[in-house]
Amino acid sequence: MSDDKKTDSLQPEEIRSTGSPLSPKRGPRTDGAASSVAVESLAMKKAQGFFEERSLPAIEMTPGRLRYLTRRDVLLFGAGAVAALAGGGFLLPQDTLSRLGVRRNTDSPGKEWFLNKALRIDDDVAEALYSRDRRVPTYTKSQITPLKNNYNGATPDPGYISGWNLTLDGLASGLSISLDIRNLTTRFSMHEQITRLVCVEGWSAIAWWAGLRFDDLLRAYPPMSQAKWVRVESSVNLDASGNPDIYFMSLDLATARHPQTLLATHLNGQALTVDHGAPLRLLVPVKLGLKNVKAITRLTYVAEEPRDYWAERGYSRYDGI
Amino acid sequence: MSHSTPRASEPNSTSTLLEEPGVLVAKKHHLLVRWSHWLNVPILLGLILSGISIYWASPIYQHKPDPITGNFDVAADIGIWICTHVPGLHQYGSPPDWIYNHMSLGPGMLALALRLHWLCAYSFMLNGMVYLAGLVMGGGWRSLLPRRTDLFDALAMFWYYLGFPFAKLTRHKWPRPRFNTKYNALQRAAYFSVPVAGSLSVATGWSMHKPMRLHWLAWLFGGYNAARVWHFCLMWVFILFIAPHVILVFADGWDTLRSMIVGWSTRVKRSEAIANER
Repeated sequence: MSDDKKTDSLQPEEIRSTGSPLSPKRGPRTDGAASSVAVESLAMKKAQGFFEERSLPAIEMTPGRLRYLTRRDVLLFGAGAVAALAGGGFLLPQDTLSRLGVRRNTDSPGKEWFLNKALRIDDDVAEALYSRDRRVPTYTKSQITPLKNNYNGATPDPGYISGWNLTLDGLASGLSISLDIRNLTTRFSMHEQITRLVCVEGWSAIAWWAGLRFDDLLRAYPPMSQAKWVRVESSVNLDASGNPDIYFMSLDLATARHPQTLLATHLNGQALTVDHGAPLRLLVPVKLGLKNVKAITRLTYVAEEPRDYWAERGYSRYDGI
Repeated sequence: MSHSTPRASEPNSTSTLLEEPGVLVAKKHHLLVRWSHWLNVPILLGLILSGISIYWASPIYQHKPDPITGNFDVAADIGIWICTHVPGLHQYGSPPDWIYNHMSLGPGMLALALRLHWLCAYSFMLNGMVYLAGLVMGGGWRSLLPRRTDLFDALAMFWYYLGFPFAKLTRHKWPRPRFNTKYNALQRAAYFSVPVAGSLSVATGWSMHKPMRLHWLAWLFGGYNAARVWHFCLMWVFILFIAPHVILVFADGWDTLRSMIVGWSTRVKRSEAIANER
C-alpha cells in the first residue's frame, strides 16, 4: 500500500497547536505550581494506563536510510532462512530425504552427535526430575485397563518357565547367585500396586501388579560398592522370526531403589502369563514401558552405564517419565 | 496495519538539509520478536512433521481392526480413500501410509521422530522465551491484550475479510472497519491466541513426556490420554492460524511484511508523529 508511505512532514505550528498533553516539554511554562500539576497528571495517566496500548514512537528517516536498513535486514534474514533450511534438511532422517528425492547419504557422525546431544539434554532433565521420595499416582481396581502383549518379537515358548532362574552378578560378595521363583516369593514380602505403564509409542495401560521390591533384593544381595547401574537381561527374548535375541537394558540404581520399582510376579491377581513375562518381570513405573523387561533372567551390577537394547536403536537411554 | 489516509502536505520546511524528504517511520516489532517469529517457521514445521510420525506409532483416532486388512488407524483409512478416489494415485504403493508419507517425516521411524521432536520442542520453548522477552522489551505485549469490545469488533472484521473478495469482484464499496490500535480486533485475538496455544502445547507436551513426575499437569488436562488429544488439537490451532495469517499478510502488503523483518513501518499516524516531535 504505497499510498501510506509518508513523505509529508509536519508544520511546526500544527505541532504546537495539537501537541499531546503527555509530552513533558510542551510549552514554556516555568512557574512551579503549574509544572507540579502537570507532573501529577502525567503520573496519574501513567498509573491508569499500564495495560493500555502506547502509541508507537515515530521518527523521521531518509528514504535512503530506510532502503538501506530494509536491504540489510532482508539479506540477513534471508541468509538465516537458507541456513535454517540447510540445517533442518541436514537433520532430517535419511528415509525422509530419500523420499524427497535426495540421493546422497546424509548420515554422518556430526548429525548423530548433534541429535544425541539433544537427547542427552532431555535425559538430564528427566534425571533431575527424579526423586526417590515422590511416588507415581496409583489407581483403583475400577480404573484398570486392558494390557496388551507388546513383545517386540515373537512371544517365547512357555517351556523356559520350568527351568527358570534369576542370576545376580556384580555383588559385593563377589559371588554369582542364582535364585528360583520360590526363593524370591517366599523370602521377600510382596507388594501390590495399581499403576500406569506408559509405552514410548504413546499408549498406556493401568494394571494391578504384585511382586517384591527391587530395593529389598538390593538390600538382601548388596551390589559391589562402586556399582551405579544394573544391566537387566532377558535371555529368552526372541526376534520377530522367533530366533533368540537377548534383551538387555540399563537401569540406574537410584531408580531401582524407588519404592514402586517391583520385580513383579503377578498381574491382576494372577501369576504372570508368558505374554507378560512369566515368571518375573521388572515393573518400573517411573520409566517407559521398554525398560520394564519381561522374563528377566540376569541382573548384573556395574559401575559404568551398560548397553541398552533400545538406546542402540536410536531411543533415549534414561527414559524417565 | 492501523493507519490513517495520509493527507498530502507541503515539503518539509524545517529540514532543508535533507536531499530527499524524510519518511516517518515507527518501530513496530522488537528485534527479538522478529527473530523468534521467523524461527518459529522451521521449528513448527519440524514439530508437526515429527509429531505426525510419532502419532503413527499409536494413533489417537482408532477403530476396531478391519477383519481383512487388520487396519485400525483412521489416518490410514483416509490414505486408502485418497488413493482410491484421487485420479493418478490409483497405483500408489502403500495407500495406508499415504498420509504419513506426505504429512510427516514418514511411517516407522519413531526413534528418529522422537529425537527431532525433543530437539524442536526445546528450541520452541527457548524461542518462546525470546519472543516473550521481545514483547516485554519492546512493549508490544500491550497491543495483544484483549479488550471488552473485541468480540463485536472481531466479528465486524471477520465479515469485512469474508466479503472483501466479492466486493472487489463486483466493484462494490466495502469499507474497512475503523480502529485506532496497532492491530484490529481479529488480529489481536489471533496474535494473543498463538502464545496461549504455544504455552498449552508445551504444557500438554510435558504432561505426556513426563506423565509420572508431572502427573498433576496431565491431571489439569484431564489425564494422560486426554493430554494427547489436546496436544493433537493444538497442532490444528497452529495450522489453522498459519494459513489465513500468511494470506492476509501478503494481501495487506509489503509494509506489513517488512515490519516483521526490518522492524520499521511507514504507516504512522499523524498524532503519533506529533507526540514524538513535541
